[in-house]
Amino acid sequence: MARNSDMNAASRHQRLGWALQIFSILLLIWVLLNGFYQLWAGLFAAAIGAGIGTWLVSGQPHPWKPHRLLAFAGFFLWESLKGGIDVAWRALHPSLPVEPFFARHRMSLPPGQPRTLMVSTVSLLPGTLSADLDDTGTILEVHGLMPEAMDSVTRLESWVTWLFSLDP
Amino acid sequence: MNIVEWIAAGVLTLGAVFYLAGTVGLLRFPDVYSRLHALTKADNLGLLLVCVGLGLLAADWQVGALLGTIWLLGLLAATVSAHLIARHARHGHGQATTNSEES
Repeated sequence: MARNSDMNAASRHQRLGWALQIFSILLLIWVLLNGFYQLWAGLFAAAIGAGIGTWLVSGQPHPWKPHRLLAFAGFFLWESLKGGIDVAWRALHPSLPVEPFFARHRMSLPPGQPRTLMVSTVSLLPGTLSADLDDTGTILEVHGLMPEAMDSVTRLESWVTWLFSLDP
Repeated sequence: MNIVEWIAAGVLTLGAVFYLAGTVGLLRFPDVYSRLHALTKADNLGLLLVCVGLGLLAADWQVGALLGTIWLLGLLAATVSAHLIARHARHGHGQATTNSEES
């Protein structure tokens, strides 16, 4: 394939990193579901899954740094806690304090995993919901529940940039 | 009941409160998008608390890990379906009453 022949060393390195990350996540899921009993079958299945996942990944893979993923998970857990408490408070408040609006956010993230992660996590942050993507996949339409909601979108984007070690 | 069971009961009850709040939001919020906010975020927190409560009662790392996996899968299902329903409504199906605004 033409794409493989002009693949440079950096990209090959990224694919290897990506394959390792898929492998470790699949193996982790295996251990969670099955324990350590007959681990060889899990190793085998995870290796096949990592191979297929790396082969089928569209565009350039963006491996993440494991310690940054932990920090991101902490940020996400905290924000989704705040999001749940915030929306529950608004739903139960007698005067129903919501001011819904739509806003467009142009994402500076590259296509692939960074954008997918951004679009799928926006909906669990306080007051924001990813409502639509334009045809190019760069402009995210966000539905907000209160005027200050858009702050968390820009904060999330800088976290995703940091997680995948992208240039801001 | 010992102390862990009391804590677990409290966490489970709190989880049920967030599920209730999500449903109240579904009924009270003005449009389809705002209702999705209530369902995804409040129910996600409710599920987390229920999983934490059950994990405390089980006191077993593998059950805890399974509950964590369930929460992550629930999270994924909630966020993907919310996005798809919102996009469906945005493309002119169903009721959509929030005014659009450019920023």
